[in-house]
Amino acid sequence: MSHIVQIQTEVRDPVAVTSACHRLKLSEPVQDTFKLFSSEATGLGVELPEWRYPVVCNTASGQLQYDNFEGRWGDRSHLNQFLQVYAVEKTRIEARRKGHTVTEQAQADGSIKLTVQVGGAE
Amino acid sequence: MTRIIEITVATDGQTRVETKGFSGAGCREASRFIETALGKRTEEQLTSEFHQQLGQQQTNRQQS
Repeated sequence: MSHIVQIQTEVRDPVAVTSACHRLKLSEPVQDTFKLFSSEATGLGVELPEWRYPVVCNTASGQLQYDNFEGRWGDRSHLNQFLQVYAVEKTRIEARRKGHTVTEQAQADGSIKLTVQVGGAE
Repeated sequence: MTRIIEITVATDGQTRVETKGFSGAGCREASRFIETALGKRTEEQLTSEFHQQLGQQQTNRQQS
């Protein structure tokens, strides 16, 4: 072990967003301008289960726009699950791009561990 | 030792990236592509092994 880094996930990759939607059996994300309750947002719209409005991913900034009225219009756990699967898919995409192999393992606490084999011993 | 990068994605989508089997500062370079792709780095912790390896490398350089 050499170093440990904590990362705040930013949603910047439309391909990984689409992969996450497929994996969660959500409808295909669409690039558009969406009406939220009192505003509009432009980006890649993700329809989460039982959410009144889509989650709009601005892949240029990595930020999300949504209005779930503090949980009344959409359960936060669905958004968390989307973010988790997005991060998994993004990791897999980047590792494959580098030619590394990736194994995935679900953990007892609900987290997902990805192991990327970088190559032979130094 | 096999060189691996372990990424643990929490249930809220936050990630923890950990390198294993790398020599000294090489671990930072090795995992940077994943760290950059995933988002914003909020914390970095260098382990005692990192410092030991770095110290060993410096000692080797002084001796050569």
